[in-house]
Amino acid sequence: MEQDYEEEIKLLQQEIEMCEAEQEECLRAISRQHRETLQNILKTISIRNDREDGVINKDVSKLMTEISDLEKDHRRQTDISGLSLSECWVKTLEKSNTKTVHQYRLTGRCWLLSFQVEFALTEIQDGEIILKKVTDLNIISDGAEFKDLCGFLSSVEESKSVFLFFRTLRSFSERCKQRTCTFQHFKEKYPDVVQLPEGCRSEIMVIQSPQLPGCTMSIFWNITVSKEGTVKPKIDLLMKMPEQAQKLDTENVVESGPECFRSLLTVFGVEATIESLIQSVCF
Amino acid sequence: MDNLRQKGVFDHLMMLERAEAAGLQRHQKERVEELRTTAATLRAKRDRIRAETSSIKNLKDKLDQGLPLDDEETEDFVKIEQYLLTSQRMQLKDLQTAHRLIAGYDLVESKQGKSVCVSFHTAFEGVCLETYNMEVDLTRMVQISRHNIPPCIPLEKLAKENLQTDFKGFLQTLNLHLNALAGRKQQISLIEELLGTVEIIEKNQLCNFLALMCKAPAESDEAVLCTLEYGDLTRCLPTHVVIDSENKTLIESPQWKENQVLLMETPVHSALLTMRKLGSIS
Repeated sequence: MEQDYEEEIKLLQQEIEMCEAEQEECLRAISRQHRETLQNILKTISIRNDREDGVINKDVSKLMTEISDLEKDHRRQTDISGLSLSECWVKTLEKSNTKTVHQYRLTGRCWLLSFQVEFALTEIQDGEIILKKVTDLNIISDGAEFKDLCGFLSSVEESKSVFLFFRTLRSFSERCKQRTCTFQHFKEKYPDVVQLPEGCRSEIMVIQSPQLPGCTMSIFWNITVSKEGTVKPKIDLLMKMPEQAQKLDTENVVESGPECFRSLLTVFGVEATIESLIQSVCF
Repeated sequence: MDNLRQKGVFDHLMMLERAEAAGLQRHQKERVEELRTTAATLRAKRDRIRAETSSIKNLKDKLDQGLPLDDEETEDFVKIEQYLLTSQRMQLKDLQTAHRLIAGYDLVESKQGKSVCVSFHTAFEGVCLETYNMEVDLTRMVQISRHNIPPCIPLEKLAKENLQTDFKGFLQTLNLHLNALAGRKQQISLIEELLGTVEIIEKNQLCNFLALMCKAPAESDEAVLCTLEYGDLTRCLPTHVVIDSENKTLIESPQWKENQVLLMETPVHSALLTMRKLGSIS
């Protein structure tokens, strides 16, 4: 008798767990595939709730509060971390009393840089302690900026350092943002002299005075990322002059230019240096 | 006692035995009863969840096919609404968890927005390590009220630099320091775990100084002392590596020159493992 019940209880518990997992999977699929419908319905419910105060279903109103709290939290975390997640796909790969494995696929952006990461998270319960470990990290990224990240990306995938990747992505995107803003600033201030041949997000800015058609000064603003995740800008100047003009260059301006540019950078900073460079060709 | 004397010891023992058996039986009955109730509750729960799951599936099918949902006034519609809300909540919860997994720190408001609690999560090479917490008081001035950040982290200096002016920047720098510390610490644990032959002679709390005694391969009985200094506390790699041994020709050899570079550029435990593989140390 006792044994029969015990067995039934065990079976029932298993069945419930399976059913719950199925339910979760189904609910996740709904939120993934019918985002718009869901948003519309939520809007209708909240409008209705505002209209008829007090008579709504208790469970519904509890869920509504929870959702609004979670949304608030989501906005706060996004703001503080600079990482905005737009999609999150989770799948339970393994689940037992002591070990769970979840597969994550996350899509989002950091400033204008979009990313997609995939990894598995293994959690092992060892007494009081839970050991968490990331395995199989895979990073998919696009955007022109990412070509400077290639070396770093492969090393971070190998070492499975999710935090390191996002920390670096954050400082990298800040540097990119600074570069873009600076380039845009000069383009707007000196539209006739400054050209951005590959757009404001690329590393090249060309200074060319309409009065001096053959002479160009190109600024190469690269953002380097070491394997360890250290982000550093590297700004260089390349000068071009027609041959005839080079003959007149008695003080070797073309040759010494890049070196002078570098020392100016350390003294005055990027903006002032570029400004003075532009001033030198605008009469 | 009288009774006992009359009936004898054996009778008494028998009586005790009977009482015990009766107790056991009662106990067993209670247990079976308990199990029966549990089973019944679980059965009801299973039936409820089964029914729920099938209506959720139904709902999903309807949504998938673009069919209209039930009439707003029906009892079922309340249920449907609940499922949809649950689905939305689940998605937001997943996002919350995911955010925690990638951002490295997260913030919770407390005391009605008068303060925030920040949790810093550390990890090294995919293994999650310690979590540190900090409560920041937001009334009047931004102030750290409580925390469990290790004392060796220059918290006060970091706070002075940008707690007031750039809170996000402050969190990022502190996070960098904590992760670097956790990383350096973890490297030492990994040496202890993976490289029994390497002896750690000296280390400190901040894990920014490490002296290791390595033995050259078996035939020669020489020892090499590697000293690693981590001058940048936001990094897991050393800024200065010194290699010393009584055998000066050994440490001047190209192999040990390469080892020095290796120790500068890779986490110390992996560098030592590579050195062992290449036969530099035993």
